[in-house]
Amino acid sequence: MPREVILVDSQLGNLDSVEHALIQVGASVIVSSDPDRVATARMVVFPGQGSFGPTTRALVDGAMGAALRMVIERGDPFLGICLGMQLLFETSEESGGFDGLKVLPGRVRRFPSDMRAGDEPDAARLKIPHMGWSDVQPTGEHFYFAHSYYVETTDPSLVMWWCRYGSVEFPATIARGNVFGCQFHPEKSQWSGLRFLRSFILGGRA
Amino acid sequence: MLKRRVIPCLDIKNGRVVKGVHFANLRDTGDPVEAARAYDTQGADELCLLDITATTEGRDTFVDVVRRVAGQIFTPLTVGGGVRREADVRRLLGAGADKVAVNSAAVANPLLIRQLADRYGSQCIVVAVDVRQLKPLPGETDPLYEVVIHGGTRSTGLDALSWCEQAAALGAGEILLTSMDKDGTRDGYDLAITREVSRRVPIPVIASGGVGSLEHLRQGLDPKEGAADAALAASIFHFGLYTIAQAKHYLADHGIPVRPHEAPRGVLITG
Repeated sequence: MPREVILVDSQLGNLDSVEHALIQVGASVIVSSDPDRVATARMVVFPGQGSFGPTTRALVDGAMGAALRMVIERGDPFLGICLGMQLLFETSEESGGFDGLKVLPGRVRRFPSDMRAGDEPDAARLKIPHMGWSDVQPTGEHFYFAHSYYVETTDPSLVMWWCRYGSVEFPATIARGNVFGCQFHPEKSQWSGLRFLRSFILGGRA
Repeated sequence: MLKRRVIPCLDIKNGRVVKGVHFANLRDTGDPVEAARAYDTQGADELCLLDITATTEGRDTFVDVVRRVAGQIFTPLTVGGGVRREADVRRLLGAGADKVAVNSAAVANPLLIRQLADRYGSQCIVVAVDVRQLKPLPGETDPLYEVVIHGGTRSTGLDALSWCEQAAALGAGEILLTSMDKDGTRDGYDLAITREVSRRVPIPVIASGGVGSLEHLRQGLDPKEGAADAALAASIFHFGLYTIAQAKHYLADHGIPVRPHEAPRGVLITG
């Protein structure tokens, strides 16, 4: 029987492609915006696009935030994607500062706007967002990223794979027990993304 | 390290690929879904679908094409053509597009860019800018470029560089820059304006218009030539002159960092 996954719909972007990719790697997907349903899930995928703000504040402070924490504390496999991973951490430095779910230690920061593409004085300024395919270490695989913010964690042992953009080295994936997160979009990362999702679905690992 | 992207583009009219796509093993050369799958398998970093239909029924057909293509590929999908208002963007994102390109509508109402970026996030909003070089007046040394709309048929009097900067400031996530002088010529990108825009704006720039060879792709992406973040091309891929994988190999061999081609290894459970 296929693994049943609750795909959390929290108004943080389009879910279709994540759903489609999960189905493609063999999951049975239930999309839900109901905290009660999420709280009883045996496996959760929590995607999000965009940034911390009023929408994430309502989520973190509300019933959905409580449901997500419950799944995580109970030990069921949990995967946060992009903003969904960032929300596992403590705070964001975005305008005014917003809280995350505070499951993991660290904060979310914006890429500095003055990074250069090389050491020469006339080297081009690096573009923000970090958008496109970057390799992760140590595997060397490529994934599709589209983000202006990244996680800075105080606990490097959380980090499974690293990615570098300009002078910033940031977590591409994190793992702690049953909790996983990826900064990239596995649903947009072709074979490498599908492999990543499949290993999560099959083993509750990444 | 961030790689440079190669983006094949399909022009869609009334739900069909214009001019057809000539690959081996493609049963229906005019079917956008088959063509999209072929590009995806060849290792395209992203796919672009442009609607060149003029009628309302054609628009509905295009949304359906977007939905069917999005259901078949696992790489980012950018769509554009005839996007006039927020409802169009919502419909296309709802159909599974990852990014929507706005062109003439943004020129008519620049604040549309901010409205869309606030609502959907900058990462989904591409501003497509069609430009044409102005004939230099006696005494003018630097080339000047103007923004044109409606497929290059109407001039706007807007300076191309200033408009790109304004679009970025209003929240665009990327600029899709097409030279109307070069489009369809197979002479290569207009490297001068591509480089200027890319150096000037803080967001990624996709070079478009004029590719006739793999060397043209390299020029567009070379930091000292076009300096673009991504290279878009249509006909060299459509007509089967080159595969995406060949393009990637060529670029890698010439020092442009690209995502290596990875052949499918049977990950898919369903067809």
